[in-house]
Amino acid sequence: MLALTHVTKVFGSVIGVNDVTVDFGSGAYGLLGPNGAGKTTLLGLITGQLRPTMGQIRVFGERPFGNARVLQRIGFCPAADILERRATPREWVRYLVRLSGFGPRAAAERADRELDRVGLGEAMDRPLFTLSKGMRQRAKLAGAMAHGPDLLVLDEPFDGLDPVARHDLVGLVQRWAVDSDTDTGTSGPRTLIVASHLLHEVEALHAGLAVILGGRLVASGTTGEIRDMVDAMPTEVRIRCDAPRRLAKAVCDTTSAEGMRFEGDDLLVVATRQPRALAERIGRAAVEDRLAIGEVSAADQSLEGIFGRLVRLHRGVGS
Amino acid sequence: MSSQGLSPSDRSRWPAEIGAAMAVAGFQLGRMVSRQRLLLALLGVIFPAAVMLAVRRTAASGLDRDLAVAMIYALVPEAVCMLGLLVTMCPAVADELERGTWIHLAVRPGGRRALLVGTYLAAVIWTSTVAILAAALAVCVAGVSKPVPLVGMLGALVLLSSLGRAALFALPAVILPKRALVASVGVALVVEYLAGFIPAVINQATVSLRLRSLLVSWMNWRRQLPVEMQLLIDPQPAWVQISAIFALAAVLLVVAVKILEYRQFPPSAEI
Repeated sequence: MLALTHVTKVFGSVIGVNDVTVDFGSGAYGLLGPNGAGKTTLLGLITGQLRPTMGQIRVFGERPFGNARVLQRIGFCPAADILERRATPREWVRYLVRLSGFGPRAAAERADRELDRVGLGEAMDRPLFTLSKGMRQRAKLAGAMAHGPDLLVLDEPFDGLDPVARHDLVGLVQRWAVDSDTDTGTSGPRTLIVASHLLHEVEALHAGLAVILGGRLVASGTTGEIRDMVDAMPTEVRIRCDAPRRLAKAVCDTTSAEGMRFEGDDLLVVATRQPRALAERIGRAAVEDRLAIGEVSAADQSLEGIFGRLVRLHRGVGS
Repeated sequence: MSSQGLSPSDRSRWPAEIGAAMAVAGFQLGRMVSRQRLLLALLGVIFPAAVMLAVRRTAASGLDRDLAVAMIYALVPEAVCMLGLLVTMCPAVADELERGTWIHLAVRPGGRRALLVGTYLAAVIWTSTVAILAAALAVCVAGVSKPVPLVGMLGALVLLSSLGRAALFALPAVILPKRALVASVGVALVVEYLAGFIPAVINQATVSLRLRSLLVSWMNWRRQLPVEMQLLIDPQPAWVQISAIFALAAVLLVVAVKILEYRQFPPSAEI
């Protein structure tokens, strides 16, 4: 359904997307990466707003840039808020559906139905500037889905939402991915791509993952596969003590330590796949060798930390 | 495709594209109905009449009809139309980038084309309406004889001025969206008021030459004009001038649409 082959996008001297090769079939996918990783640029390439500098993009078997046949089948909800303050959600979504080529009556029907579906039935005639961010997000989502796309691309759709609104919208897009088009009753294959910098948002969608960092795709697979990959990488444990070299001598004879280095006079950094065994060994060494241990901390387990480790793995650096 | 029944993709794209352009025009006109824009429009309607009133009061023995027509022409199809189009046509793309709506339009089939053509239509409708009202009021205030045919003629000139110059301003709007206003003023001065007054081939491609020639033709001023002034008009019949404006507008619009369809705005430019 969607194939990127060695796609690179350069803006002047800035590389937005760097040699990305990935295939998305039907189903839900999460595009995960911190801010500035290149997610929006990648989505811009997929949705035909940008042309690749190098490489090839095929969406439904065709080049998306300037291709009306492809764009007709894409729904896109950008990250930026709508600053079209005076329009109401009903006017806005009707406008977008008309731009997708529908007549005034069909556009009105589709817009009203989609706004109802996203839970804006009561508020569809209020100007956008009077709505909360969550409601405006719903209006954007309705605009992306109302023309019945086969590929729905959402850029940070849950950003800034409260937990209840987030839960509602996650359910909504999950249903979209499995529902059929109610107009025709057809249930052709659909693809959902959700870009986010928050792992738990994407996990909630039970989607396949593609992790992007610095414009490069550093990992892809199911959530479990990526977690396994991350878990298989050595974790860095940082130990602050009064005699790091004696501590190093004590732990280096264990199989749990795969690498170590010193930072300053009082810090030992040990790479291990068995942090629990290492912690036990440190405890024993502290008692046996009378070492004063000031601090033991594992590597950052946040998404940024996982990204960092994935990048190192991607570049072939052990730890 | 999942939405076979209602989707326009199976049909010819032309009706859908016209519908999309009309939708943009309607949406843009809706945006224009704001307090600020209405105030500006009111100013545009009143200003030429105020000038004519001031001139009429200073003229001891009434205002000469030809002089009044020449002044209203300079004030309305030239000044009011130019200013109206600078406000409505120049921000065609910049406005969408600033509002964060460009991205929504760019991912629609034919959205870029619809945006430009729809904004063009809205700019022409809005500016022409304001300018025709301004011309009618100015003619009434000037107190010239046979005002109705005069308003008709000025209305036609206003419409042609708007059609031609909106297309001219579409180019800076798509090439330099963030500097479109400055670029358009430059284009207006250099193309319309410098090249347009050069008695050479170059002025054939300007709207100002066509409008002046139509004014001279419709007012039967040709024989009264001094020889040197005759160099500044085109002696061909009115239908040639009108066709030339339509052709110029069509060429400029097609070029602007092609440029916009090819343009890419990196994500940071949208904010």
